[in-house]
Amino acid sequence: MGSTSGENHESAGVGRRDLIRRSAALGLVSVPATSFLSACASSGGGGEDKAESGERTAKNPLGVNDGARMEFVLFDGGFGTEYAEDAVRIYEKNFPRAEVKFSATQKIQSTLQPRFNQGNPPDLIDNSGAEQMDMGVLVGKNQLADLTPLLDAPSYDDPDKKVRDTLRPGIVEMGRFDGEKVWVLYYAYTVYGVWYSQKALDALDEQYPQTWDQMLAVCAKARKKGMAGWTYAGKYPYYIPFSLYPMIGKVGGREVLDAIDNLEPNAWKHPAVKACFEAYYELYRKGYVLRGTPGLDHIQSQTAWARGKALFLPNGSWVENESANVIPADFGLAVSAPTGLGSSDKLPFGTLWASGGEPFVVPAGARNGAGGMEQLRIMLGEAASKNFTSKVKSLTAFDGGTDGITLTPGLKSGVAALEKAGDNVVNPRIQDWYVQLQKEKIGVAGLGEMMAGRLTPAEAVRKIQGFADETARDTSIKHYKHA
Amino acid sequence: MQHGKYRFIAGFLAVPLGLYALFVVWPFIQSIYYSFTDWTGLSPEFEMVGFGNYERMLDDEIFWKSLRHSLLFALVLPLVTIALALFFAFMINAGGRKRKGGPAVTGVRGASFYQIVYFFPQVLSIAIVALLFAFAYNPDSGAVNSLLRGIGLDGVQPLWLGDPDLALWCVMAVLVWSTVGFFVVLFSAGMASIPAELYEAALLDGANRVTTFFRVTLPLLWDTVQSGWVYLGILALGAESFAVVQIMTTGPGGPDYSTTVMVLYVYQKAFRDGQAAYATTIGVALLVVTLAFAAAVMRLGRRERLEY
Amino acid sequence: MKTTENPAPVPDGSGAPVAGADHRAGPPPKEKREGAVLDVFSHGILVVWAVMVVLPLLWAVMTSFKDDGSIFGSPWSLPDRLRFDNWSRAWTEADMGDYFLNTVLVVGGSLVGTLVLGSMAAYVLARFDFPGNRFVYYLFVGGMSFPVMLALVPLFFVVNNMGLLNTVHGLILVYIAYSLPFTVFFLTAFFRTLPASVAEAAFVDGASHSRTFFQVMLPMARPGLVSVGIFNFLGQWNQYLLPTVLNTEPDRRVLTQGLVQLAVSQGYKGDWSGLFAGLVMAMLPVLAAYVVFQRQVVQGLTAGALK
Repeated sequence: MGSTSGENHESAGVGRRDLIRRSAALGLVSVPATSFLSACASSGGGGEDKAESGERTAKNPLGVNDGARMEFVLFDGGFGTEYAEDAVRIYEKNFPRAEVKFSATQKIQSTLQPRFNQGNPPDLIDNSGAEQMDMGVLVGKNQLADLTPLLDAPSYDDPDKKVRDTLRPGIVEMGRFDGEKVWVLYYAYTVYGVWYSQKALDALDEQYPQTWDQMLAVCAKARKKGMAGWTYAGKYPYYIPFSLYPMIGKVGGREVLDAIDNLEPNAWKHPAVKACFEAYYELYRKGYVLRGTPGLDHIQSQTAWARGKALFLPNGSWVENESANVIPADFGLAVSAPTGLGSSDKLPFGTLWASGGEPFVVPAGARNGAGGMEQLRIMLGEAASKNFTSKVKSLTAFDGGTDGITLTPGLKSGVAALEKAGDNVVNPRIQDWYVQLQKEKIGVAGLGEMMAGRLTPAEAVRKIQGFADETARDTSIKHYKHA
Repeated sequence: MQHGKYRFIAGFLAVPLGLYALFVVWPFIQSIYYSFTDWTGLSPEFEMVGFGNYERMLDDEIFWKSLRHSLLFALVLPLVTIALALFFAFMINAGGRKRKGGPAVTGVRGASFYQIVYFFPQVLSIAIVALLFAFAYNPDSGAVNSLLRGIGLDGVQPLWLGDPDLALWCVMAVLVWSTVGFFVVLFSAGMASIPAELYEAALLDGANRVTTFFRVTLPLLWDTVQSGWVYLGILALGAESFAVVQIMTTGPGGPDYSTTVMVLYVYQKAFRDGQAAYATTIGVALLVVTLAFAAAVMRLGRRERLEY
Repeated sequence: MKTTENPAPVPDGSGAPVAGADHRAGPPPKEKREGAVLDVFSHGILVVWAVMVVLPLLWAVMTSFKDDGSIFGSPWSLPDRLRFDNWSRAWTEADMGDYFLNTVLVVGGSLVGTLVLGSMAAYVLARFDFPGNRFVYYLFVGGMSFPVMLALVPLFFVVNNMGLLNTVHGLILVYIAYSLPFTVFFLTAFFRTLPASVAEAAFVDGASHSRTFFQVMLPMARPGLVSVGIFNFLGQWNQYLLPTVLNTEPDRRVLTQGLVQLAVSQGYKGDWSGLFAGLVMAMLPVLAAYVVFQRQVVQGLTAGALK
């Protein structure tokens, strides 16, 4: 038994070319040591240079280097990977010399974290899912590329129109954090609201209720038929805001939601918030929430709802794809803007939460950032957008893209709800800006407890305001404000 | 004896220690270093912040909650698991009825059947076990509540994981369920190795099975019990409790922080909030707690070694 | 009432009736009652636990043949027909076939390496006094307690710089390194319990330290090696954090990566039946291996009795 550390490699059969290994082993000391000592090394040791840019032409407005490799990492979630693979094929067709490396994972952060630290991230990332990398941190640490060149480039279908002019309202604004630069492009377009079965409502001989009194009446009627009024993802109560926040906006006006996003003192103590909390609490108190709901996860609650155990479900438009296996064919899936309180609400019935989902980013350290943006430009073209919509039953950031394809019931209802809402679309940002506050504190410890009957609305308001104040004071978090 | 001793020691330690230092200690030291910085985990930039993260941790209410839950895990899980495992192993090996002309102590009928069956959960990855039970605990249509309804207990339909008073215990029950089996096999192998004469002598002294267990069986198994205790405690503080809490609980970590354990909080800070440095700080606290736990068990458990 | 399966060594049990067995002709009523009650009681408890263990597993198997609707609607009912399509879907999605071989390679290699290296270190730490002994011991033991997830980024750099990223041998080395703490901890305790006299005798006979170790001590340590081997096998078989970061090449993935893929995607795609099929598929080989080798495992664990 020898005693040199070279034996390490030998013993495991790695001994080939020991010399190289040994020098590499020295390298292993040097790289982390660099990031150790130089407190702000901007690239932690990756040696390769960025791809040179190619010639800008009408067909290649971003100047993609035809021969450069492009790497695209997709979040493999509810939308699957097919839509992106199709878009990659277009890229490969347009740049036949380019090698494209496409991969999909559910563990975005564990997979990509080392690459960011090494200064060697991929060229395009769909930064989504439970292991989403914190966008505020990425922006704050200058890890993302400004997408303005993409937005100002001619669109894929019409050279006279800029990409930014083909997008749905609000998409560009959502991609900003501070100032004018746009860091994130949300590719999917999500309609949030109250999801229900038209067939079940018809069987009750009811319309979707517009005031809370009507809501309670419908729930009472449903209960007589052995059906609960509501269920929700009890284990992830941050699904409740999907209908609660736009209701607050409808009752008290946009300012209330903006104040909440801005973490203003006493934002949650606004009467509109309290009134909406009380309305929801009434659902619990009257026994209109499906029994056992606080112990259900999102899939379980969606399945119970799809099986007709409950009438209403707060959710986003991905539910149609996610629960496709359990939603019966004659369900008549529909979404409505949330029910308000009554005639004194600030905004009309139809006020809706709709915003971007699936955040795509191009890292600042990408070797071939132009390629990543070009891939996005392709995806924002009408053909790719239609492909997405027909495959995964969801809209994209591309404004339009629904002509000529058969819309599924939920999607159709979502489009109708958007049309009805017109300008009355709200977009609370708190879930992007302060993830821990939104999910763990407001969602689980506040709303979840209230809907399980363990907090009164007044207590919930006080607790949540406390959480918001705490977050506002926390200097380790970057704070954002509505413009 | 002295001749070549140090060469031998060095030769035997070099490879394992080298490998360990390279892949475990060195990365660990680097991450501990990060606890004195404001590293986000998402970029190579960071600055030194001294003890800032540690001060913040001491003021962090959620940290204290997670510490309490972790300690509870580390105490209750080994206690219940080892007690159950010892009980089952003793039953299997000494619970049988005496028969004419047979040994003084016999196992129950079907002893090896039990040993096989009890081991089953151990072959499943903890992630799978957690998913299975998350499903069973579903208050609406899960197996547990369906069973309760089936036997006429319609009124008793707990929320299980949705109830802050029950959630932590539900999670612990799953860990006990999945870990008992291995220790039954381990202990019963140990018990089978205890010479029958020792039991006979004890029985001659008029001891019943309970006193036999405490006077003969337990002392002879003590080393195994102690190692098992440390192993389980570490599992409870670390990897295993993370998987179950992460997969099964509300939020995860809820409802209302009732199941937040340290290792989950580490994960959330590092992988959700982009605060890797702070996560590392909590990781260091976890390291301290675990070492203290292991030291306490080893010290409290030190006994005269019985040779037989 | 006799059980023959019990592996308890009973050297002279049948030859020389001892203790209570003598009074069999007229057993004292008290003892008989105690025996009977205990028998029923112990059997009762053992049966209850056995049911608690088997039921969830059987339920998982049954559920893997159902469709999504009836999994929720009637969790206790038998499947209306055996839906093998769940299994084929899970098989393709988790790439069981491809990943199985990788897993066997990685776990096999790391298990052998862990046991060899772990027992060497543990033996030295348990039986020799030298400066720094305690330090090294606690260095190893301390490694059990730091969350691996925090070391992932530095570890990635180490592995990457050595050119071991996405390689089977790289993964094996890392698995070994992370299995050493518990292995050393466990085996050190075990080597301490072995009688010192045997090793000394061998050494006096002229055997070198290493020969004493490989030819005398290691065979004696078999029960310890078997138990720690099982711990490590289970841990390494189920490891997924390390491969997620260090082994991203799709065709080199291990089984858990496929399974986690399946399990996580269940959360987004709601394919419960496919998930259960995958779970069952993953647990069956290990379960089968255990049932087949159970006797050897138990014998390995008990061999110490004959020392």
